[in-house]
Amino acid sequence: MSTNGRTPILQLTDVHTYYGAIHALKGISLEVYEGEIVTLLGANGAGKSTTLRSINGLNRPRQGSIRFEGRDITTVAAHQIVKRGIAQSPEGRRLFPRMTVVENLEMGAFQRNDRPGIREDMDRVFELFPRLQERRDQKAGTMSGGEQQMCAIGRALMARPKLLLLDEPSLGLAPIFVERIFEIIHQINEQGTSILLVEQNALMALDAAHRGYVLETGHIVLADDAKALKTNEQVRKTYLGET
Amino acid sequence: MAADASAPTLATRLRRPSAVGALGGLFVLALLAWLAVNAERTPADFLEVFLIGITTGCVYALVALGYTLVYGILELINFAHGDVFMLGGMFSITYATHFFGLHTGQGVLIIPIVFATLLLAMISCGLINAAIEFVAYRPLRGKPRLAPLITAIGMSFVIQDVGLIWKGPNYITAPDVFPRSKVFSIGGVDYTWNKLIVVVITIPVLLGLLYLVQRTRQGKAMRATAQDMDASAMMGINVNRTISFTFLIAGGLAGAAGLLYSLYVTTVRYDQGFQLGLIAFTAAVLGGVGNLPGAVLGAILIGLIQAFNEGLNWHAPGSDWTQSIVFSILILILVFRPEGLLGERTPEGG
Ligand SMILES: Nc1ncnc2c1ncn2[C@@H]1O[C@H](COP(=O)(O)OP(=O)(O)O)[C@@H](O)[C@H]1O
Ligand SMILES: [Mg+2]
Repeated sequence: MSTNGRTPILQLTDVHTYYGAIHALKGISLEVYEGEIVTLLGANGAGKSTTLRSINGLNRPRQGSIRFEGRDITTVAAHQIVKRGIAQSPEGRRLFPRMTVVENLEMGAFQRNDRPGIREDMDRVFELFPRLQERRDQKAGTMSGGEQQMCAIGRALMARPKLLLLDEPSLGLAPIFVERIFEIIHQINEQGTSILLVEQNALMALDAAHRGYVLETGHIVLADDAKALKTNEQVRKTYLGET
Repeated sequence: MAADASAPTLATRLRRPSAVGALGGLFVLALLAWLAVNAERTPADFLEVFLIGITTGCVYALVALGYTLVYGILELINFAHGDVFMLGGMFSITYATHFFGLHTGQGVLIIPIVFATLLLAMISCGLINAAIEFVAYRPLRGKPRLAPLITAIGMSFVIQDVGLIWKGPNYITAPDVFPRSKVFSIGGVDYTWNKLIVVVITIPVLLGLLYLVQRTRQGKAMRATAQDMDASAMMGINVNRTISFTFLIAGGLAGAAGLLYSLYVTTVRYDQGFQLGLIAFTAAVLGGVGNLPGAVLGAILIGLIQAFNEGLNWHAPGSDWTQSIVFSILILILVFRPEGLLGERTPEGG
């Protein structure tokens, strides 16, 4: 692995997370290093979204720890997480449906007050997604799935995060949109943001990522370089649709 | 999600058999005809009743906004809200007479007293409403809808009992300080100071609220929280604090309504919030629950309907029928136009 000697920007250690009595994460440990794209693969219900919800404070782990930039954030309130430098495009996009595109993007920068910086980042988002600029005054709830996904990613970028969490950004999108989204993920990463990418589209995700983890019913069953995972027999069988 | 919500209503509106629409149209026409005949026969009475309706409508609007704000953010019908309004009336009378020694014949001195009382009543009711949320509704967040709803009904009884214990079972009276002399006359009808005062206090409160919700950072947080709580937390919004703030504002509006009502009507009793609350709730539903301008529109309409019903001479059903009429309206809206007159279910006022 190419990560020797560095300290991770994000580190989960033996995280257990529950929904009531349902034990959704049964001891997850993973790292994201600065500048990396790390992908989290797994079937529906494996616990990928729950992992992200544990990181962002919406579903606090009952056991284990989460560290970000060396500091423990396991019990930090959800609304404080974004200030620490973690933003996300959540599962189902979760835009504010009755706000316009611009208003949604502004919400992404809610906890910031450097107006010039916010304007700069808005321009940057419009550069990444010219489509959003065209739709800037449209209500987010009335846009197509692909446009909403762009808006959700754009909104997360408006927080100027150090770490970006993306939950199935390609879900339900037409193939051209999927390619475009992955191009943009690559671009965002090149501009210096670390990314934890949850995907069911394993092939695309492994192409984009440096490293990957495979999740099964709340356990991590595989962890390796993306290239190695792509050639891994088990991964090919289960996630890349080979027989 | 807005598209999901509005698409079916639009579709049902288009699909709905036009017989019902025609019947509704006929009913509204008959109502207008009845009003026209009354206006024709006794124009002065009509005008006077109209002005009374606007005045009560203002009080209803302040209370209706509280229902709509809370519904917009939690999708909870806060049944205790009317009772917070009642407490507002009791606070107002207590502050004005016991603290500030308000009595009739004080001249312009009543102005600072009324404003100080208004402020104190708003603060008191705001804090009580926020406390109710904290104690009774917050622990039930994420539980099935029925749980907080039943709790709200329980809170309503609790507050009524507080009023009963505090002020006893009889009407308590406020000094009759709003002058009834005329400001101006139109069509032979005097527009009196007491009505004008109610409107003059209501309007800036409403404008302040609109400004708060539409233009401030806190208002932005309220709108976002109303649309998606988890996403709001991800944006860095303290959702709990935003909900507390919403209850504080709603309670403050109820406090303002309590002051106006107690000084305009001059009597308050422990069970008064229940009936007025249901009227105001109907107003909120009529305007489109969750919609701020809708709540004001609905409240003015209900105020007018009540005044016409109770005050007109020619074939008006009379005050015995007011409750029945208000609830018939509530049922008709819920059946035929659940999204209300102004449609969209938004707290930001579309
Ligand atoms: N809100 C919830 N309530 C109860 N169980 C849930 C909830 N959300 C997810 N789960 C359960 O937690 C497990 C992990 O779900 P999730 O993290 O959403 O999986 P993935 O994102 O990998 O599809 C699943 O077994 C799922 O049924
Ligand atoms: Mg998921």
